[in-house]
Amino acid sequence: MSVDYRHPLRLGLLLTPGDDGPQAAVERARLGEELGYDLVSFRPGASELDPWTLLSWTAARTTRIHLAAHPGGPGINPALVARAAASLDLLADGRAELILSAEPGLDEAIDIVRGIWTAHLRSPLSFAGEHHRLAGAERGPAPAHNLPILLTGTPDPALLRLAGTKADGWLRPPADGGSATDSWAGAEGQAGANAAIDQAAVAAGRDPREIHRLTHITGRFTTAADNADSSLTGTPERWISALLPLILDQGVSTLILTTDDPATIRRFATDVAPALRAARGEIPRSEQVPSLYVRRHRRDGIAYDAVPESLAGSAIEPGDAGFGRVRSTYLRGGSPGLVLRPGTPGEVAEAVRFARTQPVKLSVRSGGHGISGRSTNNGGIVIDLSRLHAIEILDKATRRVRVEPGARWRDVAAALSPHGWALSSGDYGGVGVGGLATSGGIGWLVREHGLTVDHLRAVDLVLADGTRVRADEEENAELFWGVRGAGANFGIVTSFEFEADEVGEVGFGQFVMDASDTAGFLERWGAVMEAAPRDLTSFLIIGRPRLGQPTVAQVMAVVDSRDAETIIARLQPLASVAPVLDYSIQVLPYEAIMNAPQAPHDGQGEPVTRSALAGHLTPELAGDVGRLIAGGLSYFFAIRSVGGAVADVPSDATAYAGRSANFQLVAFGANRRALDSAWDAMLPHFSGLYLNFETDLRPERLHDAYPEAHLGRLRALKRRYDPDNVFRDNFNITPEPDQARSQSSR
Amino acid sequence: MPDYGHELMFGSFITPANASPKEVVSLVRESEAAGLDLATFQDHPYQSAYLDTWTLMSYAAARTERIRLSGNVINLPLRPPAVLARAAASLDLLSGGRFELGLGSGAFWDAIEAMGGRRLTPGQAVEALSEAIDVIRGVWDVADRSLFRVDGTYYQVDGAKRGPAPAHDIGIWLGAYKPKMLRLTGAKADGWLPSLPYMKSLDEIAQANEIIDAAAVEAGREPAAVRRLLNLGGSFGPRSDRLLSGPPEQWAEQLAALTLEYGLSGYIVMGDDAATIRTFGEEVAPLVRDLVATERATRGGGIAGAGR
Ligand SMILES: Cc1cc2nc3c(=O)[nH]c(=O)nc-3n(C[C@H](O)[C@H](O)[C@H](O)COP(=O)(O)OP(=O)(O)OC[C@H]3O[C@@H](n4cnc5c(N)ncnc54)[C@H](O)[C@@H]3O)c2cc1C
Repeated sequence: MSVDYRHPLRLGLLLTPGDDGPQAAVERARLGEELGYDLVSFRPGASELDPWTLLSWTAARTTRIHLAAHPGGPGINPALVARAAASLDLLADGRAELILSAEPGLDEAIDIVRGIWTAHLRSPLSFAGEHHRLAGAERGPAPAHNLPILLTGTPDPALLRLAGTKADGWLRPPADGGSATDSWAGAEGQAGANAAIDQAAVAAGRDPREIHRLTHITGRFTTAADNADSSLTGTPERWISALLPLILDQGVSTLILTTDDPATIRRFATDVAPALRAARGEIPRSEQVPSLYVRRHRRDGIAYDAVPESLAGSAIEPGDAGFGRVRSTYLRGGSPGLVLRPGTPGEVAEAVRFARTQPVKLSVRSGGHGISGRSTNNGGIVIDLSRLHAIEILDKATRRVRVEPGARWRDVAAALSPHGWALSSGDYGGVGVGGLATSGGIGWLVREHGLTVDHLRAVDLVLADGTRVRADEEENAELFWGVRGAGANFGIVTSFEFEADEVGEVGFGQFVMDASDTAGFLERWGAVMEAAPRDLTSFLIIGRPRLGQPTVAQVMAVVDSRDAETIIARLQPLASVAPVLDYSIQVLPYEAIMNAPQAPHDGQGEPVTRSALAGHLTPELAGDVGRLIAGGLSYFFAIRSVGGAVADVPSDATAYAGRSANFQLVAFGANRRALDSAWDAMLPHFSGLYLNFETDLRPERLHDAYPEAHLGRLRALKRRYDPDNVFRDNFNITPEPDQARSQSSR
Repeated sequence: MPDYGHELMFGSFITPANASPKEVVSLVRESEAAGLDLATFQDHPYQSAYLDTWTLMSYAAARTERIRLSGNVINLPLRPPAVLARAAASLDLLSGGRFELGLGSGAFWDAIEAMGGRRLTPGQAVEALSEAIDVIRGVWDVADRSLFRVDGTYYQVDGAKRGPAPAHDIGIWLGAYKPKMLRLTGAKADGWLPSLPYMKSLDEIAQANEIIDAAAVEAGREPAAVRRLLNLGGSFGPRSDRLLSGPPEQWAEQLAALTLEYGLSGYIVMGDDAATIRTFGEEVAPLVRDLVATERATRGGGIAGAGR
């Protein structure tokens, strides 16, 4: 009777570093990768060299091959091993696997390793076992992928039971420990072992197909089959005929060749592997059974088994190890049911075609910095574009650059800097390209160079039906108009073409100012900015006043000049707006201002903000803001100066409409109701809304952002390009008009 | 005495954050590109926000060519010395002699115990470190054909095979502050690696030097056998009268003084910032080398190049 656990065939190498030194062993691992082997491991205890060090080094010198770490026992500290294995996996982009040897306490060690990897549990890990004890160890990090734990040891019942109950695979050792090249275990006893594993798996509620069956093989290539039955000695044909039954009948999916002989490594790859792989064929992902843990964490309404093959490999589900790194955004906690991570525009199209058939929320994410936080959800699907992050110079003469949505503005700045170019984007380099460049982009050079969308020359989009189109001033011109200010409603932009500006070093001033007279401070700052030449752009932030301390404002300003006199001349008026408590003035490459740390998002809860555009910081507006801050309703209040080049462009030239405003305001609050009621009362002061700082989801906000004529054109576009309203995650422009009317008196 | 005459060494101190492994590795490469001699990493195996320092160092060493790497400092209580010695030698062999072993006796005992480690008193921890150094040197000493046995209070080795021998004489540098640790440093270590933020004043460096020197002499060693390094932080900006708060020239003058008057010869800049690393490697380091070389030349005498 033959068994088939539906795992793809994998071929590996077990290397024993020898007298020719560790570099030679690494070279053999690299040879293995070159020849198409799937897995490499270094034998523990066989030489004085440390296998973990060798494997970590090898990880850095390879790109594709998987790395099976096998810590030498006895006396390993499983908590430390767990962290080290996760570290290896993170460094090697998900290529690590962990082999644990049969020894007393293995059962406990597995629990501890998995416990450490369960990073999303906030409680520390305690464990009182017979062999291992932990007294409140921190959990984490989670590995990059579902790092398999493979148990190795002779097929004794206890080990097989443990493999079936808790592990991801059983690795059969060479019959005599592997010292002789013809000590091959063959297929003998495999069926019995399989049955024991299967039985234990079923008893534990698992599917036997969750557990991989691996075996070591050893042998010698000779010209004739001079062979004893059980040995792999002979011609490649002899090898093939001996190995095929293992793969096709005995359910073994990974063969690990134990050899250090480069000729044997080559010969197996060229003369044996192709026949084995052909006989096994491809195993579609949909036929591979995810673990019980993964299945248990699935959410209703998503047809997980129907995820397209091209996306299944990189998708992340709630039960997957990497989930903690993709669930939330910068500002909002989320718990999606499925995160699709397409790597090409074609895969984005497949993702859209799949997602639109699923009766759950759909979110689109580029950099995950959306302030409204709609790029995550609860129980729905996220299309995460972070793998699309290329930045490419298209034409030096016209400064034309192509940027993919998952790139961050930090990376864009760094890529353009060597050419003496920059694109004004925003004030924070961690922000993603996709969300910002489909909406506006109020950056450090906005008054001189305009909005980010003003530099957009063409986009490639995936539409709601999965078709791919290009839009620019000639082709799909109306769509191109809509993308520059309301892009999220019409499709997923997979590529942006911008015209960059020539920007050298800039002056960067930072001032801490006494803003006790908040209203007066705002008025004076506003007046300075309205009168300032365009090469000055300034943003300010006011925090929640601390009891008994003056209200303090941070004013930041960029002068597009490296000339000290110009910089001082521009900053002087700003510095006289209020008493300066501290300041620094630097001359920096634009790239340096955009530098920001990289880390996975860990937002919690719901962000609460209100936002607006204003023509002027009138005494009335400044007074209201002063009261808002003094009343503690906003713990973080910011104003960005706009105007200048932004206002050169007619309002109807792009979907972004608020061209006349000189200021963009945002208030972060802790209490939705309180902030809304205060802000709603301020609406008469405002001239419009830039949606990228808004979190109020009431439909009125659309009317604040888009005048009637704009909204009419946008709805017509929506009817044409997304009549079923697939893209509705963020400030949805519905195909048909909504009932709400603007409450603002513009 | 001070100025033990060591060749100067400049390094970085990189947080092994697991939130962004790529960035950590890229800071190592930045350090190399900036001409630094050394990239170092703290080791807190009980800290879930960090990458395993050993795995990281092995990986980063494979991504660089010239720069040396060291723990700063390796947590001995959670890393058994015999395994550590083999791993260190393996990494030294792989990297062509680019590994140094910064070592600490352990400080956060609750966390060490939480990870299944053994709790020791600070005094015991120093004794354990002393034993561990013997174990480590014993593993490396392949010239010794005798069976390798250690029957210590804290560590036992029972007739294990020695080896591998590292590619170069790996320096064992101790993070030490208290007299007992300082005496151990003088007696057995190749380097002393404290952190400036933990020191009350520069006088503490002078006092520690005296203890180390005395212990070295007592153990029959030259005081210059122990290199003195320092982890330090600071900021680049306009001139000030504070230590390491000013332009690169001011840093250089101050560090040169630390070499000539306090005997320090290794400076490791803290802060995970590529710009700081660049300024430190490209501007500060060459200036300090010049200042020190000039002064040493005028002082004359045969101190150049003592120790390693
Ligand atoms: C710290 C911080 C500072 C900021 N500073 C500025 C600033 O100075 N100036 C400024 O203008 N803005 C600023 N913003 C706001 C920023 O522009 C928006 O948050 C923007 O949406 C973030 O883009 P993202 O790709 O990172 O966001 P995501 O959260 O990934 O996306 C936000 C939304 O954009 C849409 N979207 C994303 N990708 C695509 C795509 N490829 N195609 C179509 N639609 C897409 C989706 O609807 C999604 O919900 C800042 C935000 C933060 C958090």
